[in-house]
Amino acid sequence: MADETFDLAGCLERVHRRDQAAARELVEHLHPLVIRIVRAHLPRRMSEEDLSQEIFLKMFTRIEQYKGAVPFSHWVSRIAVTTCIDQLRAQKRRPEFRWADLSEGEAGLLDSVLTNERAVAPDDALAASELVHKLLGQLKPEDRLVVQLLDLEQKSIVEISQITGWKQSLVKVRAFRARRKLKKLFEELKRMEKS
Amino acid sequence: MNTPDPRWQRLAAAARQIHDGRDTAAPSGFATRVAAHAFATVEQPFSALLARFSWRALGVAALLALGSVAANYSAISALSSGSDDDSSSSEIINEMINPS
Repeated sequence: MADETFDLAGCLERVHRRDQAAARELVEHLHPLVIRIVRAHLPRRMSEEDLSQEIFLKMFTRIEQYKGAVPFSHWVSRIAVTTCIDQLRAQKRRPEFRWADLSEGEAGLLDSVLTNERAVAPDDALAASELVHKLLGQLKPEDRLVVQLLDLEQKSIVEISQITGWKQSLVKVRAFRARRKLKKLFEELKRMEKS
Repeated sequence: MNTPDPRWQRLAAAARQIHDGRDTAAPSGFATRVAAHAFATVEQPFSALLARFSWRALGVAALLALGSVAANYSAISALSSGSDDDSSSSEIINEMINPS
């Protein structure tokens, strides 16, 4: 949402009057916000364009329900988040995390992270990113979302609460659960490596 | 809230160095397609409802017709085969033509 001069209130007013040009402008204005959420939480085998289209269609279907209690961008991001979570839930089975499925770089990096306490080298940033997303894939969709926003996007609990619409206490519970699961996962990986 | 595992912290810190440089603008035609689709789907419910109820009504009518035929099957078959009924119906017609 780079365009700070965008007249959101006027645009929404025109959308309520079923002005198709206003609807187009609204989609173009909100696309960067929605696509960032979609890219961060895209389920396997789903195109980001299909998912973002679904989010925008939901937004237009529910637009009459928007009463202005929260900023419009928060309201839209909540629709985006819940749609992504629904899609992640629909995948049902999360792929098992196995050493054999890691690339040479990822396996080497994981081995290094498990056996020493040195910071990851900048050259390994890409492998770390891949590894992080594979580890996140082991978490429940809601927990994954919280830990991703907290540890990767470095959002505060308040910001996560605004984006997701969940209470701050619930965000904390989900973060706690996700971190505990990740810790357990690291222990299992270490045990598997030894055996 | 618990503190994150140090191994996770190191991996996450490295992963944060990767910046997503992909374009975030809507692809060409995306906004037009979504806007058209959105208004089309908002208009749809009444016609969809009507179509659904029409099909349902047709189904119910067909079932009622079949039911009434089944319930009156004996009477219908008797009418079509019985000669007594032919005579009685001709008597009725006679009475209607010549009421005296």
